[in-house]
Amino acid sequence: MMKKALSGAIILLFSLFSVYPILYVVSVSLRGDNAFQSRSLEIFTSSSTISNFVKLFIETDFLIWMRNSLLISAVTTLMGLTLAATSAYALSRYRFRGRNFMLFALLATQMFPATMLLLPFYIILSHLKLIDSFWGLFIIYSSTALPFCVWQMKAYYDTIPRELEEAALLDGCSVWQIFYRIILPISSPALVITALFSFMTSWSEYVIAAVVLQDPELYTLPLGLKSFQASLGTQWGLYAAGALIVSIPVLILFIGISRYLVSGLTMGSVKG
Amino acid sequence: MNLFKLLFLVLVISVPAQAKDIRIQLWHQMIYGHRPVLDKALREFEKENPGIFVRSTYRETEELRSAFQSAAMGGGGPELIYGPSDQIGPFATMGIIQPLEELVPAGYIEGFDPLAVPEFNDHHYMIGDSVGNHLMLIYNKKLISQPPKTTDELIEIGKKQTVDLNGDGKIDRFGLVFNYTEPFFFSPFIMGFGDYFLTASNQPLLNTPGVTGTFQFILDLRDKHRIIPKECDYETAEALFKGGQAAMIINGDWSWGDYKQAKIDFGIARIPMISSTGKWPGPLVGTKGYSLNVNMQSPKHQQAAIKLLQHLTSEKTQLMFAEAVGTLPSNLNARNADVVKENALLKDSAHIMEVAYPMPVIPEVRAIWDSLRTQYQRLLANSQTPAQAALLSQQQAEVQIRDMNEVIEAGTEGRLLQIIFAALLLGALWMSRSSVVGFFKGFKGPQRYAYYLMFPAFLAIFLVIIYPFFYNIAISFSNFSLKTFQDWSIVGFQHYRAVLADPKFYSLFFKTIVWTGVNITFHVAFGVLLAVLINQVLPGKALWRTLLIIPWAVPQYITALTWRGLFNQEYGPINVFLQEFLHLSPVQWLSQPFTAFTACIITNVWLGFPFMMIVALGGLQSIPHSLYEAAQIDGATSWQRFRHITWPLLQPVMTPAALLGSIWTFNNLNVIWLVSNGGEPGDQTHILVSYVYKAAFNLYRYGYAAALSMLIFFILVIWGVISLRGQYKKEMDL
Repeated sequence: MMKKALSGAIILLFSLFSVYPILYVVSVSLRGDNAFQSRSLEIFTSSSTISNFVKLFIETDFLIWMRNSLLISAVTTLMGLTLAATSAYALSRYRFRGRNFMLFALLATQMFPATMLLLPFYIILSHLKLIDSFWGLFIIYSSTALPFCVWQMKAYYDTIPRELEEAALLDGCSVWQIFYRIILPISSPALVITALFSFMTSWSEYVIAAVVLQDPELYTLPLGLKSFQASLGTQWGLYAAGALIVSIPVLILFIGISRYLVSGLTMGSVKG
Repeated sequence: MNLFKLLFLVLVISVPAQAKDIRIQLWHQMIYGHRPVLDKALREFEKENPGIFVRSTYRETEELRSAFQSAAMGGGGPELIYGPSDQIGPFATMGIIQPLEELVPAGYIEGFDPLAVPEFNDHHYMIGDSVGNHLMLIYNKKLISQPPKTTDELIEIGKKQTVDLNGDGKIDRFGLVFNYTEPFFFSPFIMGFGDYFLTASNQPLLNTPGVTGTFQFILDLRDKHRIIPKECDYETAEALFKGGQAAMIINGDWSWGDYKQAKIDFGIARIPMISSTGKWPGPLVGTKGYSLNVNMQSPKHQQAAIKLLQHLTSEKTQLMFAEAVGTLPSNLNARNADVVKENALLKDSAHIMEVAYPMPVIPEVRAIWDSLRTQYQRLLANSQTPAQAALLSQQQAEVQIRDMNEVIEAGTEGRLLQIIFAALLLGALWMSRSSVVGFFKGFKGPQRYAYYLMFPAFLAIFLVIIYPFFYNIAISFSNFSLKTFQDWSIVGFQHYRAVLADPKFYSLFFKTIVWTGVNITFHVAFGVLLAVLINQVLPGKALWRTLLIIPWAVPQYITALTWRGLFNQEYGPINVFLQEFLHLSPVQWLSQPFTAFTACIITNVWLGFPFMMIVALGGLQSIPHSLYEAAQIDGATSWQRFRHITWPLLQPVMTPAALLGSIWTFNNLNVIWLVSNGGEPGDQTHILVSYVYKAAFNLYRYGYAAALSMLIFFILVIWGVISLRGQYKKEMDL
């Protein structure tokens, strides 16, 4: 019982730690005076107003940004997940020429400081006429998220016993069937995490989007939000309100998929 | 008849539509309140000029600068760019904007206030649409009836206004607030103390009584007279003044609109005269205006862009801005309009401008601000005296300007290097021929499934990474910088030698290792701990899980800034907590190097642990429950179960995540940049990658930055090889 109480206390403490700064953002979004800081520690005051949220939807192109972001993130997640699920399987199960090189190359792509890649990115994309095009973002996002996705999927595949596939092979399944019918369903916890990660990469990415997209009609949420920011004149209220709304889809997504994260556990306990 | 009319109408309408439309792009950094006015002006222009369409794109000032540089570099970019006058120095030096004298009608430029058409290298590169951007003393009329005229009065009034209203020992209202850590905001005092920061030949002039006097003056305001807060950045100052918790603020004309909106009854005045010298502080007055890109798609675009530039700087447009947002027009005809003449604020502002100095536009000014900022912030952290700070600012500025303007000539080393590169490339191709053949054969061999599965991912990564990578290698051996922006060439190993000979590199390297190590340790420890705890049967599991991923879900660019606010010395919740609950003295988080770095680490731990928690949650699912049941039967304690079951079986999933996490953390620019405001105090919170960013985009040293990036890359490759070797060994064992 003591142990339960202790773990409950720890979780509570961490929850406070993770939520408090967000409450601060909430209070900024509810203030009417466009200031980022305040001396009072209260979140709701008598002058609290939801005008920033109303303004966000009525006066700005927030819904257009939302649509663009959803489209880009959905496509990226799908592309990233497909590429990662397949290539990680190859890396986990086959020993082929260039395997180690490939594993390392994936890692190496993350090692170069991203700021120095912006100029060459711009040059390539403008040669390929992909400036102001979602395709430019699809390609860059799904390949920048790929290394993590592949590594994570491979690590999970590695924990799946090979006997499963050998048995299926004896039953006459083809390689593709094994992959689709057996491996993928078992790997749902890893697929979920990978999808979430892919989604997050493109959902909140700003720097590359700023290089690729210049037409305000094509702006993603982070780009749109950033347009409220200026070096000495940020619209803090709108910026904070927007940032909060941006995080809602991520939370919904997480809640929606989290039942896959517990599936393994419940199965085990039913057995016991 | 009607049909005929209709047909005619269709023809008339469709003819201009058939003629090729011209699309002009304008990139600007106008603040939020000004953008609707700009939009209106653009729509008017489109109406007057059928067939020309204008698209405006907003970018924050610094991003605008770097985005325009990249775009112009790549041979593109917007036709028109709008920004502060100090950007024309760098842009003109890089050769990416055009001189305007020959392009606009004769006498056009003479129709403007000279401040709005600054000269650089005897050319006009910009036409400003307003004059101002100057600092002044803004006071809350409810608290102060007459603004101070001298600094003695300022201190006197300031002391009266700095009060603890409720007697809790904390100051509730300050006499004066301003963003005093930033050189632009204290620069007027240098002139008040009788000096200027540039010599007549545009060299830095910082080791002077004027600079020392300014430094001492601000230290006195903080420590002796105590009328300004101990820590105060721009947002803090704004919040205090808007909340009525500061009687006076030093700020620029751009802030008026905001104060009006916050319903503050304010007045403006000159920054008080320095009592000891009898001189007025000299705010810098500049312009914001339009420049033309050198890259134009066609002569027609050029003509349209010039037309647009004239429209946007015309009397009519300027009056529109003056009326809507109260800017002072640069067009001399517009100055005589009633909206301008009868604006009380503009009248006072004109009085303030009489003592102002024109904002210098040379690129070297950036290096001067940067050196002043660095040394001055060390002074504020009490690690050097005003005289030392002035001397070191001068030395640092000289070094930075030399580095910025350095053009390395392509000597024999460069040519030799080119030959070696060519040889290496050919050699590598020759050596790898069998691998290439093997690669293609692989598609038919017994491992063909692996090849099919791998190929798309391989292609995507190859496309996105390979070219930028080789591009950077080339730049790291080149003399690419401010002066050679358009025609750089391979020169040799100079940048690598410079980086490796600089003791700063090693201290930054060490700091980066500490940063990475501490962060990853906490990320993994917290992540695994929380995942394991959540996985126990707790009520409301889903709720806790969701609360704990919140730091990951909310965009970093706002939460990092929020943490900066939480660390505020005066009234950040963290200090309030330390004082009220733990009875500790408040910590000056952001103005001391060690605590500022700690603040960055705390922020990044907060940002990073949810991710590791999710990875661990996923990993826990692959552990069969039966193992725990068996352990329970054997009477294992929960620690033993964790030590011998959970941890070893979690490792295959956590190791790659931790390895990748360490690489990301090593290269994490955002948190350092946002929390410490670009390395503050005094450039002492940088890690390697933020230093790369600063070298490339603040100081235009692209070659140097690329060489440093390559070294970062090699460091991480070595780290990766070492950690993977362990991984491979395990795989072999299996």
